[in-house]
Amino acid sequence: MRNLIAFLQRFRLFLVFIVLQVIALTMMVNMSVYANLQFLSTTSKINAGIFSWRQGVDKHFYLETQNQRLARENAYLRARLKQSNYQVERNTTLIEDTTYKRKYKYIPGTVIQSTYDKRNNYMTIDLGSNHGVKKGDGVISTAGVVGIVHMVGTDYSLVKTVLSQNINQDVMLEKNGAFGLMKWDQKSPRVIQIEGISSDIYFKKWVKVVTRGSAGVFPKGIPVGIVKRRKKLEDRPLWYVDVLLTTDFRTIQQIYVVKNLDQEEIDKLQRAIPIDKDED
Amino acid sequence: MNQIVSISLRFLLLFFLQVLVLNNLEIGWGTYIMIYPFFILLLPFEMGIIPLMLISFFMGISIDSLSNTFGMHASAAVLVAYLRPFIFKAFAPRDGYDSVETAGIRVLGFQWLIGTYGTLLVIHHLWFFMLESLQLNEILLILRKVALSVPLSFAFSLLVQFIFMRRRGE
Repeated sequence: MRNLIAFLQRFRLFLVFIVLQVIALTMMVNMSVYANLQFLSTTSKINAGIFSWRQGVDKHFYLETQNQRLARENAYLRARLKQSNYQVERNTTLIEDTTYKRKYKYIPGTVIQSTYDKRNNYMTIDLGSNHGVKKGDGVISTAGVVGIVHMVGTDYSLVKTVLSQNINQDVMLEKNGAFGLMKWDQKSPRVIQIEGISSDIYFKKWVKVVTRGSAGVFPKGIPVGIVKRRKKLEDRPLWYVDVLLTTDFRTIQQIYVVKNLDQEEIDKLQRAIPIDKDED
Repeated sequence: MNQIVSISLRFLLLFFLQVLVLNNLEIGWGTYIMIYPFFILLLPFEMGIIPLMLISFFMGISIDSLSNTFGMHASAAVLVAYLRPFIFKAFAPRDGYDSVETAGIRVLGFQWLIGTYGTLLVIHHLWFFMLESLQLNEILLILRKVALSVPLSFAFSLLVQFIFMRRRGE
């Protein structure tokens, strides 16, 4: 016992160091798992309050561009309204009563803090569980895909943007439907990569990349970007694809949280799939 | 008492500068200016390592909570605090630190500052960026980030020192 105390006394500095490191690193690994550590993120009321205050100061500098962007989106959506379309085929009548079921709901929100040049980039938005946001919901902007809700507070939540290491959402080429996973190699905030498109599938440069919508997080066909560069990997039969994002994360202000109204059913179905023992 | 007040004020200054200004100053190529190690450097010379590490941990976790890094800043800050005495010993002036305990870092000169603070910054940035990435195949990118960020962090710390922290006795 005395030896143990002597040992502890001798190495007490190093022990305190190790303890503090372990606390910090455990937090780093488990942050999104433990909800009670949420006060240590920007979704907490005080922290988000600081950023809302700051955003209240500098949002005025971007009002003009934001208005233009929203007006452009409005014009696009207005063009799709029934009253702006002329019916070409007069002989048939189209009755829509219960053939369409609403599947996605959009909640508009404001970005109060975001980064784009770190290894993993997060943004804080002013929507939380009070507004019906849940962890895992998709987030889009007026231009395209933004990210996934990572952590939810009561009034604010944290979004993991596509400029992150493990975003892993599936996207596809609009032309032929070849799909892969989004990755980011942190070189530029405008460019992400797609991993997993087999190199025997041919596609042209500048084709559109859209969401695949298979996970139910995003609707099918939300724009992601266009293929900027493609080359064959030397060690694997895959394409290396650079995608120029449609969303500019450096100027993003307005976002929509996408809620899949059938998410519960999807989750239930996925839980029913037995876990493959070989995978782990 | 006076010292506690001045340390707290310095804490708040560097903390708010870091989270409200420098975290959003994204120049490009992953450059990330971090000046809070300057706070750890400026803590009193005679302070024991354990309170030093606890204060640094608190500083780190405060910054973590506002930049969504979940403990990375805390870990890097604790590392800096733990290594500070060793670095100080390595760059000690000829007759030790006894004569300068109360005088602050201006007496020690610019060369000493480059030696100690430069080394601490390199260690801090390297540790932080490695934790952020956690992948060894990105080591070149990490080194580039360190090489770009360290000089800027150093320069910004000096700038803050010149603008906000007045010379003692004035």
